[in-house]
Amino acid sequence: MTDLPRRRLHPLSPFLHSARQLVAVVAVVSWQGYSQLGLEKFAIGVVVVLLGAVAISVVAWRYTGYEITGRELRIHEGTFSRRTRAIPLERLQSVEVVRPLLAQLTGLAELRLEVVGGGKAEAPLAYLTVGEAQDLRKHLLELANARGDAAAEQPSAEQVLYETRDDELLLSQSLSPEVIYLPIGVALIGLQFVTNGSFGFVAVASTVTALIGAILRPVRRITRDWRCRLTIADDRLHIRRGLTETRSQVVPVQRVQAVTITWPLLWRMKRWVRVNLDIAAHGAEGAKDEEKHMGTTLLPVAVTEQARAVVPWCLPRPAPDRLAAVDIAALPLTGVPDRAKWVVPLARTVLAAGATEHVFATVDGVLTRRLRLVPYARIQSVRVEQGWLQQRLGLATVHVDLAGAPSASAPERDVHEAYALAWELTERARAARALTAPERP
Amino acid sequence: MSDALRPWPDTVDWHPVSAKLTTLKRLQLLGNLIIPAAATAAVWFVWHWGWVFLIFGVIAAGVLIRVGTVGRSVRSWGYAEREQDLLVRHGLVRRHLSIVPYARMQFVDVSAGPLERMFGLATVQLHTAAAASDARVPGLDPAEAARLRDRLTTLGEIGKEGL
Repeated sequence: MTDLPRRRLHPLSPFLHSARQLVAVVAVVSWQGYSQLGLEKFAIGVVVVLLGAVAISVVAWRYTGYEITGRELRIHEGTFSRRTRAIPLERLQSVEVVRPLLAQLTGLAELRLEVVGGGKAEAPLAYLTVGEAQDLRKHLLELANARGDAAAEQPSAEQVLYETRDDELLLSQSLSPEVIYLPIGVALIGLQFVTNGSFGFVAVASTVTALIGAILRPVRRITRDWRCRLTIADDRLHIRRGLTETRSQVVPVQRVQAVTITWPLLWRMKRWVRVNLDIAAHGAEGAKDEEKHMGTTLLPVAVTEQARAVVPWCLPRPAPDRLAAVDIAALPLTGVPDRAKWVVPLARTVLAAGATEHVFATVDGVLTRRLRLVPYARIQSVRVEQGWLQQRLGLATVHVDLAGAPSASAPERDVHEAYALAWELTERARAARALTAPERP
Repeated sequence: MSDALRPWPDTVDWHPVSAKLTTLKRLQLLGNLIIPAAATAAVWFVWHWGWVFLIFGVIAAGVLIRVGTVGRSVRSWGYAEREQDLLVRHGLVRRHLSIVPYARMQFVDVSAGPLERMFGLATVQLHTAAAASDARVPGLDPAEAARLRDRLTTLGEIGKEGL
């Protein structure tokens, strides 16, 4: 059942790959050709171009394919320069079904595989029919997680954890700083008109560009996170979202390196939070800039109570029938000593950290508060650092290093407490590893 | 727990790095002076500007101070092999302590530059899946470096696991 014979991608794939160039070529030809050649010759020209495209597509399609051999997925692609990419399945982090606009129109989907380590983070498998993509994703994830008893488990039913409310998403994104500054920008243009009596072209043009930029970001986020729906089945988080491009991403809980809960300043009155996941592959090339730092958005906007209910599902279970008891509203964290104000005058009352029962947790951020949770089993290494000023004040910073994600830091702890914390973290990480190790092949 | 630089003295047995590393670092620091010295000489011969010596003097003074203190900074390096993890500490102005479990090890590098080879020294570096992990031990005797590498790889094999 493990091996899959070589199969071809969907016949439309080469077409879709070169669709943009093709449209451009046809457009250029038609613009030029129609005026010079007349209708008859132009029609012949278009037919010739199309035939050529089809011929190339057929050649390309004959070579496309994917197969699973042993512990590897191989993807063959290319027209003139051919490429075969082999992906070891045990390095698979997550599999995402992405449907760009063109693929949505043709009923196709792209499978994006995220692999840990190395620069080539994303290996796209494009294009397949939607059903085929979903089947293959299931198959790949089964293989990637296959170990002993796992195959015997009954697939349990999907459970819906969260759905975005349209009004919440729209309102929350319009509460982002970019949109808030909008009236100020408009007022500046008005002011210029009043004082100068006319609009300076450069000033207006640059302001308008800035305004468009300011609006575009929230709009992009809205289209990306539209109708975000989070379900869970068999300890795999399944995120579906998107307006123009529907994304469907499966993240096995054991791949979650850290959970970050963010309280932006403007959202506090609504008690809204954003929840992001750090996954080992996302830091690598290919991930979008925003995702590089923030990881995968799990909940684009949620009320704190919703996040409280969802977060335990993203953490490893202490026992098969029990979720980790982590309540983000009531974590037993400790603050930093009063003398830390000499280093961090504003954040002194904010900073907190603690080794709780299931996760290492840190809080930082004066305006945008951030809570990071790191399951002990994901800790790679622990560091204690002490700068010059910290030595004078008897303070130290504890870092917890993660694979493919920024380290979680507990800054400005009392130095003795910091060493005790580092010790406790290594002990707990070892215990957590010992618990999960026998399951791994 | 009393000395912040050497935590857990009762359970951890810290190894120092070779004292030869001090000489090597001093040579490296002095080597950094070659380019400024050449530039100074060039400027003097071409334009006869006297103040270039002042700049060079400031640079040289800075380097000499580092040369004087480098012994202490080399002595601040230390590593300890515990049952489950490797501990590395170093730094005076900015103190670092790394705790890297053997089970998290991806691979081990043993490297020796030309200058290091001249002094019979080698550097062992442990890599984990986290880019921020910092477990580098410089100034080891090649035999000790090989022993450490072998020990690390053996221990890493036992605790081998995924991410």
